[in-house]
Amino acid sequence: MSSETTTGSGTTASVNSTADAVERLHIAGLHAPTDAVLSVRDLNVRFNSENGVVHAVRGVDFDLLPGKTLGIVGESGSGKSVTSLAIMGLLPETAEVTGSVRLKGRELLGLSDKAMCEYRGNELAMVFQDPLSSLTPVYTVGTQIIEALTIHNPTMSKQAKEARAVELLAMVGIPSPKDRLKAFPHEFSGGMRQRVMIAIAIANNPRVLIADEPTTALDVTIQAQVLEVLHTAQEETGAAVVMITHDLGVVAGMADDIMVMYAGKPVETGAVDDIYYNPRMPYTLGLLGAVPRVDVSEKSSLVPIDGIPPNLLHTPTGCSFAPRCPLATEACLEGEPALAPVPGVALHHAACIKSEALGGDVDVHDIFSAPPVPESRFDAIPRENRSTVLELKDVRKHFPLTKGALLKKRIGTVKAVDGLSFDVREGECFSIVGESGSGKTTTLLEIMEFHKDQDGEVVIGGISNKQAADTKTKNAMRRELQMVFQDPTGALDPRFTVYEVLAEPLQNAGLDRQAIRKRIMELMKLVGLQPDHVNRFPNQFSGGQRQRIGIARALAVNPKLVVLDEPVSALDVSVQAGVINLLDKLRAELGLSYLLVAHDLSVVRHISNRVAVMYLGKIVEIGEVDRVFDNPRHPYTRALLSAIPVPDPHVERTRERIILKGDLPSPLDAPKGCNFATRCPVFAALPAAKQEKCLTLEPPLEAVAPSSAAQALEPAAPSPDQRFACFFPDGELDEDMLVSHDQAEHHAP
Amino acid sequence: MLKYLAKRGITYVVMIFLTTSAGYFLAVSSLKPALLEQERIPRPTPEQVANSMRLKGLDPDLNAWERYVQWLTGVVTRWDWGRSPNGAFINAEFGDRVWISTRLFLASIILTLVIGVALGVYSAARQYKFQDRVITSYSYLAYIVPAPIAYFLVQLGAININETVGQRIFFVTGISTPGMEPGWAQIVDMAAHYAVPTVAITLVGWGAYQIAQRQYLLDNVNADFVRTARAKGLSRNQAIARHALRVSFIPVAQSIAFTIPAIFAGGFFAEKIFAWPGVGSWSIDAISLQDVNAATATLAYGSVIFALGAILADFATTLVDPRVRVQ
Repeated sequence: MSSETTTGSGTTASVNSTADAVERLHIAGLHAPTDAVLSVRDLNVRFNSENGVVHAVRGVDFDLLPGKTLGIVGESGSGKSVTSLAIMGLLPETAEVTGSVRLKGRELLGLSDKAMCEYRGNELAMVFQDPLSSLTPVYTVGTQIIEALTIHNPTMSKQAKEARAVELLAMVGIPSPKDRLKAFPHEFSGGMRQRVMIAIAIANNPRVLIADEPTTALDVTIQAQVLEVLHTAQEETGAAVVMITHDLGVVAGMADDIMVMYAGKPVETGAVDDIYYNPRMPYTLGLLGAVPRVDVSEKSSLVPIDGIPPNLLHTPTGCSFAPRCPLATEACLEGEPALAPVPGVALHHAACIKSEALGGDVDVHDIFSAPPVPESRFDAIPRENRSTVLELKDVRKHFPLTKGALLKKRIGTVKAVDGLSFDVREGECFSIVGESGSGKTTTLLEIMEFHKDQDGEVVIGGISNKQAADTKTKNAMRRELQMVFQDPTGALDPRFTVYEVLAEPLQNAGLDRQAIRKRIMELMKLVGLQPDHVNRFPNQFSGGQRQRIGIARALAVNPKLVVLDEPVSALDVSVQAGVINLLDKLRAELGLSYLLVAHDLSVVRHISNRVAVMYLGKIVEIGEVDRVFDNPRHPYTRALLSAIPVPDPHVERTRERIILKGDLPSPLDAPKGCNFATRCPVFAALPAAKQEKCLTLEPPLEAVAPSSAAQALEPAAPSPDQRFACFFPDGELDEDMLVSHDQAEHHAP
Repeated sequence: MLKYLAKRGITYVVMIFLTTSAGYFLAVSSLKPALLEQERIPRPTPEQVANSMRLKGLDPDLNAWERYVQWLTGVVTRWDWGRSPNGAFINAEFGDRVWISTRLFLASIILTLVIGVALGVYSAARQYKFQDRVITSYSYLAYIVPAPIAYFLVQLGAININETVGQRIFFVTGISTPGMEPGWAQIVDMAAHYAVPTVAITLVGWGAYQIAQRQYLLDNVNADFVRTARAKGLSRNQAIARHALRVSFIPVAQSIAFTIPAIFAGGFFAEKIFAWPGVGSWSIDAISLQDVNAATATLAYGSVIFALGAILADFATTLVDPRVRVQ
């Protein structure tokens, strides 16, 4: 598959050489002078900081053709966002930007703020990462959209502008757009606000639309919706899109070309298939191997990339990735390799002296010495024969919704957790997945509560919360169960050294000083940290190392069960892989059980044995992870799974997606029958008579009948470990909610 | 909104009643006007003193509860806040003094707000530049220097000008020259009296607003929504003026709402130093003169003003911030 868009000029230019810069511009001129809508040449950004000059972007080149999509991929600090802000001219005045950015042949760099205003929001538009803070809270969304129109069309009449704003809101899929014009941003959910942001960005039919991590802050189902909106927006306006992301899955289906950035420099560029199927730079290989796949059941360790990205205060003398690269040799440290064409593949460039030895047939696990899949002693024991470490029986948490200041009137109930029952056995990892607001965190809080007045029973290591009257019992329960938190920075006291962090639970357990010291050294080694770093403070560690400290703290008192609340969602993919591997290893070695809450279904599939899918406080599907993921029965599970982007361009382009309508409803409006009916793709396609059943009766959790094939083989086979709560699992899906983009349409010139 | 106001109003009436009653008990049990009477020459007999006090409704022989009931009955049934030991009626004196305080502070508070907020915006837009450093340093200085010293300095400055010119241009104390004919001369005389206190209070006052407005605006200058506004095609300064300014004004509007009622409550130092007998100086004098009723009245007045400020602040917030909804 060839693409017209090119990334990388392919010159072997060294930075700061004016002769080479001229050469690059020359090449840029030679290459389809009028075709490219946006040409970037030798873009460099430097910031002055207290410690010296940070060279955040070091020589970025690309051409963007109309209607095409370029994905810029990299971890935090790789310079991808700075690149986009430099193109938009939105960097602080103190930033030093050099090189050339041409929009339809006109140079943008060096223009004054005022001169740039003519391009920004007009031909060049941008969508930002955090939709919650990107809209002005005190103006209605209508005002904010109309402002974008007014700036560039001062003569447009008020009615025309309003009509256009309504049209834009309808285009990005906001229901009853006319009324919503008068709504303020806080009256919209995160996904809806991101739609408004897209509406503002495409208001003036931009030629180039830059999207900087547009879905990172959103739930997967909402992410699928927003990506769909971006797709529509691109089709409507014919704009070229620059999509910036750290998630290789998000761009796999959308992008025509990919640029992988590392340490402020593009390290590999090329057509999307070349990058995903034939990577020629170890870093790209590592990134692809570090992401767990939601569609693959085969268990293999993830590829961790050890170390941290280089400090951009100092210009790297050799390859900037060499310190983390398992293939690095002496030669890699002699001069930074330039982006060089990969022989035999047009327009594919890689900055690696060994790129010729790499390619699609090289196994990333061999290069990055991924650890072997750990085996737990429990793996051989059937689940029924293992003891239960945690059991929940019909746990409920209802919050009363009240009105009035002095005399409180109960006007409703929020059923955050509504009748949850499950158990976790020894040595297994049980995960709870669901959108934000589905009650995952409340469930964890209920488990950690240990109060006898709770509605429902929580049994931890054989002790029920109904017996938890005195401190001693509570302490015994707490020792069985420890927690690892989402944000490793916020969870560690910045004034405690690692030693103090780890010593605290041990002191509570009544150990003497000698024993504490010994245990801490053990723990440090266990989680892969250097024991002599115990006297450092948390801020001297990287994010991944801090999460390791959090894990060590949880393990200090030898718990049976570790509760993991989104343990890797705050980490970069390469670091995330290391932490996931560590969790896997610890579970096998120490015989731990995990209760994992995560929104990333790929991580869940990789690490867990069993999974429960929650929707509005209830479990809608539960069972063995491979069963649930390979053969989802509940429409919600199917929608969730189809929303996860997979880092595989072919799969992404061809598969059909279920795009749920709207957001998670407020628990207040939960319907009487099935909670999911309001958004259900099966329900929408059902005849009215059957819909009635969904609306009035609550579907119970029922076991899946064994498939006929399984019964034929082994007639007495027990029903498989999978239960779901839906009356019509085999019902047809509503066609409006099914979206697929076939390849031909997507790649039409 | 009306329902909300009514609800808040009732809450505050209860609170004002409680503070005022507590204040009355404190005053009545610690302030003994009869003792001051005994220092008169010729010294009156205790009976004479008690008699004169009884006539003014300040009977020293009654216990605190009896006097409280007597005082409260007067307030509730006749809106009569009682008399001072010197025989003056609280109600009459009150009106005069509130008006004096208001005249003294009104102009300077408006100036303080306008100058403070404007300079805050100006200096925030030029963060760490020369203008910002000068203005903000001045504001901190004004913050540190005790108000009486600053007022004296301004007075000295005015006297200096008078001496240099050799003519009395500014009056540094007093409200007006007695016996002025109405007309042009009276207006000039009033301005000459107004100028010095107004300038002094303004110079000291704007610092706080400047610092607050600058800080809140700087918090918002690099906000994501300002970046969005710039991405739409507004220049940096336009984006700040249209988007950051209004958001940063929300907390300032709240503090302004609290200030407006304070105009009427006056300020002790300014009233004393510029010899404008307003409510502020009265409340302090009431204590030294063992005046139970005046002390309680000023306390009650202070509570009312505070409650008004709180309601106004809520009101101002709902006005500028659509996210706040009144229930």
